[in-house]
Amino acid sequence: MKVRLLAFASAADAVGAPESELELPAGASTAELRDELLRRHPALAALWSRLALAIDGEIQRGNPALHDGAEVALLPPVSGG
Amino acid sequence: MAGAARLTRLVTDPIDVAGLLAGMQTPDCGAVVLFLGTVRNRHAGRPVAGITYHAYARMAETALARIVDELVAATPGLRLAIVHRLGAIPIGEPSVAIAAASPHRPEAYAASRQALERLKAEVPIWKRERYADGGEAWREEEPLGPS
Repeated sequence: MKVRLLAFASAADAVGAPESELELPAGASTAELRDELLRRHPALAALWSRLALAIDGEIQRGNPALHDGAEVALLPPVSGG
Repeated sequence: MAGAARLTRLVTDPIDVAGLLAGMQTPDCGAVVLFLGTVRNRHAGRPVAGITYHAYARMAETALARIVDELVAATPGLRLAIVHRLGAIPIGEPSVAIAAASPHRPEAYAASRQALERLKAEVPIWKRERYADGGEAWREEEPLGPS
């Protein structure tokens, strides 16, 4: 299955693109997504513990399953205002 | 002219502060508090040339609307607007404008403050500072939690 990956701020720098597509095994969990991302983008490892992860616009806790076509966002701590 | 009692917007052009204020004022509101967050010319002593704001627009719009809805629901008579500008903003120009109107001043002051503090903690927007010496850096300050 394919997910659309959005990365913001320092996470975009670590991934190398603000938006990309990622092919994952059907039914992959967010932990599997993380493993795949860290394998492809080692610079993410230093950031990972600070990132919030959103699926389809909702911040996730735990290790939910992803679905085909999901929009996954990597969100560093924010600084609006 | 009075508009809706609540308004949230992400914009890329300069914020229309006068229009925002006019939209929040009504004859039954005796207090209007306007907060402007403006781009400052230094950060931790380092001269800043400008700031570029980035957002996850889909989530930022939802989060701003949630903040305004919750504050308006909790405060009888409150009218509240938050506008955040995105993209490259020069020194001195507003990046955020909050207009709060209420029959009496305590509610407008309180809502203005709460709206800004919640925006800083809950809305997926990021600053990238461009320094006068040529460097650039992300500012990443408040970890997002589940809404």
